[in-house]
Amino acid sequence: MSHLHDIALTDMERAGAFDDAERTFQMTEDAFRLFYDQTARPVWIYLARMTGDDRLADDLLQETYYRFLRTRTVFDSDDHRRNYLYRIATNLVHDYRRRPRRENAILDDAQVLALDTEQTDPGERAVRRLDLTRAMGRLKPRERSMLWLAYAQGFSHEEIAKVLGLRTSSLKALLHRARRRLIDLLGRKEGR
Amino acid sequence: MMDTPCPREIEVVASVLDSGRGRVDDESVSAHLDCCEACREVAMVTRLMTSDHDHARRVIRVPAAGQVWWRAAVRARLEAVHAAARPLTWSHGIAGACALGLTVALIGLAWPAVREAVAWASTFAFHAARFDEATTFLGATLRGAVMAMLVAAVCLVIAPVALYFALSDE
Repeated sequence: MSHLHDIALTDMERAGAFDDAERTFQMTEDAFRLFYDQTARPVWIYLARMTGDDRLADDLLQETYYRFLRTRTVFDSDDHRRNYLYRIATNLVHDYRRRPRRENAILDDAQVLALDTEQTDPGERAVRRLDLTRAMGRLKPRERSMLWLAYAQGFSHEEIAKVLGLRTSSLKALLHRARRRLIDLLGRKEGR
Repeated sequence: MMDTPCPREIEVVASVLDSGRGRVDDESVSAHLDCCEACREVAMVTRLMTSDHDHARRVIRVPAAGQVWWRAAVRARLEAVHAAARPLTWSHGIAGACALGLTVALIGLAWPAVREAVAWASTFAFHAARFDEATTFLGATLRGAVMAMLVAAVCLVIAPVALYFALSDE
């Protein structure tokens, strides 16, 4: 991740990198561009919401696509490909959480409000998003992933189960429980 | 408070997502929302999260696909280079260890002869003050032997180091 910034290669090696890339990776550059344009934004948001760190989300996004490109898995559909990508992203987030050196803080208030200054949204929406961010920060990582994939990105239960490595049969109950926790944390401020 | 999931939750989520984050258009779902607290919660959470998601989607900037591809290609290349260099590093280590072992073995083999020569030299040195001719002869003999041993030792040390640098340039 961060070591990517320190890459120093000769011109010959750099040229060779492009020659080798299509042999090493599981898709061509054109196919990758198409796939990336479809998936990068939602994946970045997912990573940012799961880690609470925009810069880390940038690094994890690069790592996610790198691992995806290096995989030898054969995908039978676009959904399968997308789910696999989210699975890599989820594993990276979990790996990041296991690292002891850094406090995993969800976006702080200033960051969330800073995002809103670029928009013309009413203040109430900004406050709601802030409430949501705070509440999400108090959930367990798995609950956060489940809720985000289900309600922000509209994944089916089967897809969420595959991404998170859970049984589909238990997902509904887990999701229900996670949602109840979120509602409690939000303090039931919202209505229909 | 509802403690059990409602079977229509998936339908509710789909309706909220399809309604463009506004009020649910589907009348049947809308009627269900009036009487199901669990689904009202689902609708509320879905609206909140999709609103956050849509907002973030508008304001974030992700790196270009070409940049991500380029970085991945460069990294793959680097990893391939490191993987290819790994056996060479091992062979260097083994060659160094062999050279060291050989040096120690040779020194071990030569050690009795050296001790014998030193004892012999001491005996002659004892008489050196009186016998100048013998001293001269002994000095010349010993100097030649010591020089030969030094040259052999230097070669043994320098050869693997030179080999290492010659191969590592590749």
